[in-house]
Amino acid sequence: MTLTPEQQALGRRNFLKVLAGTPALAALGTAAAVQGPVRGGPVRLGFLGVGGQGRALLTAAAVGAVPGGHAEIRALADINPDQLKRATDLLATHTIVPPAQYATWQAMLEKEDIEAVVMAPPLWAHADIAVGCLDAGKHVLCEKMMAWDVPSCERMRDAAARNGRVLEIGYQRNYNPLYEAAFAGVFDKELLGDIYYVRLAWHRNGNWRRQGQPPWPEYDPSPWGYPSFEHLLNWRLYWKYSKGLFAELGSHQINIANQVLRGQPEAVSASGGVFRFKDGREAYDHVYATFEYPGGRTAVFSSIESNAFDDYYEMYTGTKGTLILRREVEALLYSEGDGEGLTGLEIAPRTAGAAVMDASETQAGNRASSPQAQAQSGPTMVERAESSRREIRQFCAAIRVGAPLACGPGKALESARACITAHDAIAAKTRLEIARA
Amino acid sequence: MMPVRSTTTAAQQTALVLLRTLVGWHFLYEGYFKLLRPAWGRDGEPLAAWSAAGYLKASTGPLAGMFHALGDAPWIGALDTMIAGGLVLIGLSLMLGLFTRVGCAAALLMLAMFYVSAIPMSGLPEPRAEGVYLIVNKNLIEAAGVFVLLLFPTGQFAGLDRWVRDMRRPQASMSEVQA
Repeated sequence: MTLTPEQQALGRRNFLKVLAGTPALAALGTAAAVQGPVRGGPVRLGFLGVGGQGRALLTAAAVGAVPGGHAEIRALADINPDQLKRATDLLATHTIVPPAQYATWQAMLEKEDIEAVVMAPPLWAHADIAVGCLDAGKHVLCEKMMAWDVPSCERMRDAAARNGRVLEIGYQRNYNPLYEAAFAGVFDKELLGDIYYVRLAWHRNGNWRRQGQPPWPEYDPSPWGYPSFEHLLNWRLYWKYSKGLFAELGSHQINIANQVLRGQPEAVSASGGVFRFKDGREAYDHVYATFEYPGGRTAVFSSIESNAFDDYYEMYTGTKGTLILRREVEALLYSEGDGEGLTGLEIAPRTAGAAVMDASETQAGNRASSPQAQAQSGPTMVERAESSRREIRQFCAAIRVGAPLACGPGKALESARACITAHDAIAAKTRLEIARA
Repeated sequence: MMPVRSTTTAAQQTALVLLRTLVGWHFLYEGYFKLLRPAWGRDGEPLAAWSAAGYLKASTGPLAGMFHALGDAPWIGALDTMIAGGLVLIGLSLMLGLFTRVGCAAALLMLAMFYVSAIPMSGLPEPRAEGVYLIVNKNLIEAAGVFVLLLFPTGQFAGLDRWVRDMRRPQASMSEVQA
C-alpha cells in the first residue's frame, strides 16, 4: 500500500480524533491510580496473647473498630482462657460482639480470614509465632522487645523481608505525640547542642511478681512450655522466657535513645542482681548499665525495684540544654548556663491528634519546681493511651497504603541487640562490645 | 472518512471537546471514587463505604420528600451502585466521545437531580462546602455546560462516535449502491 504524505497525515489526524479523550483518560487514570486512594476496608486483625499489654492494644484497636474505621477485630487467641474472658469483657464495653476465640495462633490462622496479627505473648515466644504468622502471609505487629535473643530477632526480620509483609515492633514512644513533638521541636533542630550524656531511669518500688489463680485448679500450661501456672503468670521473672528489666523497660528507652543519638551503642558495661526479692525469681530486681555510643556519647540506664522517687524518665543533656521526657506524658526543656534556667515546653494537640511544641521562655513559674517535686503530680501533656491508638492505626495504614513504619525490624533489632548484650554483660561481669548488623 | 459538515471553527470544536473531556473526567472520577470505597487515602486515613443515604436524607427543596424516602429505602445499596455506576458510564461516554448525546442527556438529568435535591437558597456558607451560593451553584453551572454540549455533535468533532458513524456509513453506501 502506498500512501502519500498527505494521506498519512490525514489518517493520523482522523485516528487521533477518534481517540479523543483516550489520552486524557489514560493520563488522569494513571494519576488517580498512583495518587488517589487505595481500595480496601478496615484491616482484619487477630489478637494473640491478650494479657495486660495485649488488652491495651485490643482497647486501642477497639477505638478504631467502628464503621468507617481502620481496624476490624476478627479473632482472639490466648492459651489462658481467663485472659480471653477478660478480653471479651473489655470488647463488650466497646459494644463489640465477642470475636472468635482460640487457644493457639495456629488454630486462629487456620480458621480465620485475618490479614494481620497483633501479638503480645511472652518474649521467648515472639520469634516462633511471628515467623509462623509472616510465613503464613500475615502482617505482624509484635509487642516489644523484638525477641529473646539476637538470632531470633534476625529470623523475624528475614521472615518479614522474605514474605514481603509488614513487621512492626510496638514501642509506644514511637507513636507518642510528645516524643514526635520533641523530635520535631528539639532534637531535629539540635536545640540541645551536642549531647554527650543521656540518663535513662525506670525506678519502681514494688514486687514485679504477679498474683493470680489458674483458670481451673487442674489447668496445665505444660503443652506450651510452662511447667506450672506460676511460670506462665510470672514469665517475666524467669530467664527461659524473659530478659528481665532490660527487655521489659530498658528497651523502650534505648529504642528512643538510639534514634536521638542516631545510631546504636558500641559497647555496654552492666551490673545487677536479685537484691531485694529473693523469692526464687531469676530476673534481676536491680540493673545498671552504661551504653557507649560513637563519638564519646554515653547513656546510663538504671532500673530498680526498691525506690520510686526518680520514677521513670529520659534525660538528654547537651552543651546548650537539657530535655527531660517524663512518664511518657510530660516534657521539660532547660537552657544551659544563661542563668534563666528553665524553659517550658507547650504541647498542644492538633486536630489530627498529633502535637506541636513551642519552646517558650515565659513560663518562669515552673522555675521553682524541681523535676523531682513534680514527679508524682506533674501536668499531663498527652494521654498515654493515645500512643497505642496511633500504633494500631499506623500499623493498619502501613498495610493498606505502605505508610512508613515507626519501628520496623531494623530499628527494633538495634535496641534489642543493645539490651540483650547488656543482659549478657551482667552475667559475664565485663564490658561487652555490641555486635553490628 | 467524510469531513463533518459544520459551521463551527476548529477552535470552537476544540473548546467544546475540551469541555466535554473535563466534565467527563469529573463524572468518571466521582463514580470511581464512590465505587472504590471503602478505601484508604495515601495519608493513611480510612474512607468509609459511600452511600447516598446521608445526602438524600439531608436534601431540601420541592422534591425533598421523595429524596428522603429514597434515603430510607431498603434498597439504598442498589441505588448507591446505580448512582456510582451511572457516573462512571457517563464519564466514560463524555471522555471517549462515545454515544455522546446519550451521555450528555444522562449527565444533565443527574445534575438536575443533584441540584434540585439541594437548591442553595440561604445564600450563606454551608458546612463542608467551599464557596457561597445563592440559587446558582456549581451543579447548575456544570449542567449548563452539559446542556451546551448536548446541542453540538462533539462526538463527531472528536471521539469514538466518529468511528461508530464510519462503521455504519459503508453499509448504508453498499445498500444504496445495490438499490
